[in-house]
Amino acid sequence: MVVDEVKVPLRDVRRTIKEFYNPQEWHFITVNGVDLGGKVELKWFFTRYGEEEYFKVVTAEASYEDEVPTITYLIPSAWISEWELADLFGLNVEGAKKGLFLDPESPQAPLRRG
Amino acid sequence: MGKRITVPFGSQHVALPEPVRFVFQTENEKIVDVEVDVGYVHRGIEKACATKFKYMQVGYVVARVCGLCAISHTLGYVTALERLMGVEVPKRALYLRLLVSELDRIHSHLLAMGHTAEVAGYENLFMQTFRHRELVMEMLELLTGNRVQFDFACPGGVNRDLTPEVEKVLREKLKLLEEKALWLKDVYENDFSLALRWKGIGVVTEKMAKEMNVVGPPARAAGLKTDARAEFNYLPFKEVGYKMVVLKGGSIYERNLLRALEVLNSIQMCWNVLDGLPEGEIKVPVKGLPEGEMFVRIEAPRGELFYYIRGSQKLVLDRVRIRVPTFSNIPVMKELFVGMDYADVPATVISFDPCLSCTAR
Repeated sequence: MVVDEVKVPLRDVRRTIKEFYNPQEWHFITVNGVDLGGKVELKWFFTRYGEEEYFKVVTAEASYEDEVPTITYLIPSAWISEWELADLFGLNVEGAKKGLFLDPESPQAPLRRG
Repeated sequence: MGKRITVPFGSQHVALPEPVRFVFQTENEKIVDVEVDVGYVHRGIEKACATKFKYMQVGYVVARVCGLCAISHTLGYVTALERLMGVEVPKRALYLRLLVSELDRIHSHLLAMGHTAEVAGYENLFMQTFRHRELVMEMLELLTGNRVQFDFACPGGVNRDLTPEVEKVLREKLKLLEEKALWLKDVYENDFSLALRWKGIGVVTEKMAKEMNVVGPPARAAGLKTDARAEFNYLPFKEVGYKMVVLKGGSIYERNLLRALEVLNSIQMCWNVLDGLPEGEIKVPVKGLPEGEMFVRIEAPRGELFYYIRGSQKLVLDRVRIRVPTFSNIPVMKELFVGMDYADVPATVISFDPCLSCTAR
């Protein structure tokens, strides 16, 4: 498995993805969060069509108060992954609405630790 | 311009007995806007996997994410875990996993095809499709001990071997299933009423599929060559005659025809597994504690299933992430509805074979 991972500051995520992302070539899989306590590690996963086990991963860290930039300008379908981050981690994602995955009365931000 | 009317679809609807809610804004019969809500049954499985269950138990928990593609979820998890921990799975176990995985794909595809026939008003074809699907359910029960929740794969291999007695019955049923699947493919391909109702309806173009990152049968029916079975080496598909099926057109008709063709390829792979099943162990012990991260792609019946796990040498993992195919296909469904006649919505939704149980895992 080939994984080309780049770690960037949160503010550079969109620019980094814009530099390589071409929908004819790349498939956006999802953005994943891992709570590190006070901050969340975010990884945007991509794979190249027709290539076996080749991935590109863009990694950044966001504190609970940071605004996470949206990539829907580049990848329109990414809104659902971003809205999920907003619901399950309670992150402030640019343009995301809360409540798509969680009932308003359920525990909020369940994937935060502690 | 006609008067704007709000038409809710779900959260319970006869076409889809799963809790998803679309709210359509329509002018005359045309949809001009849509909102979606999938947040009715969030079950917190990811949270449970990273707090309550030990890493050796998680495979059984994630199998409960979905009834239809239980083996895909288990495969996603155990493959990620085995890669992370450097476990080499015996070849016989890989072949048996492939056999159950493809039988599962057949029963899931037949279910989707049957339901689409049902919402087109073709009750008889719906019943015939489900009747033949019953053969696969019986085969899965023989092989794994269960019709739906198999718990067949486990870290290090599989839980149950294939005996000569079971193999004999499997071969008989597979032969019968092949005959029925050929007949079904003929109907779904050539029936005049179905073609008239479905061709050109709910079209996803190849360009749209790429831009919206569509996965699974809806992507391949639109001409996009993507399939985790070809792009991620998690089972020996190349050794058993896997062929990627890709069609042009991208409408409901092509999505169903593609499923019918994939059923035939899956049956062929099942024959090849039975004919070439390697001898040997079915399981190796898994020792140690997982450390680091791993992610895998699995081709579930509905499309690409992504698993991410992360451990720090503890019995309980730090993170288990499950990205299911329906989750990926909701954005394109939402796009597709705008401009569509409301009457075409139920069949279009069902032709994507959505699983809300997976989405709200």
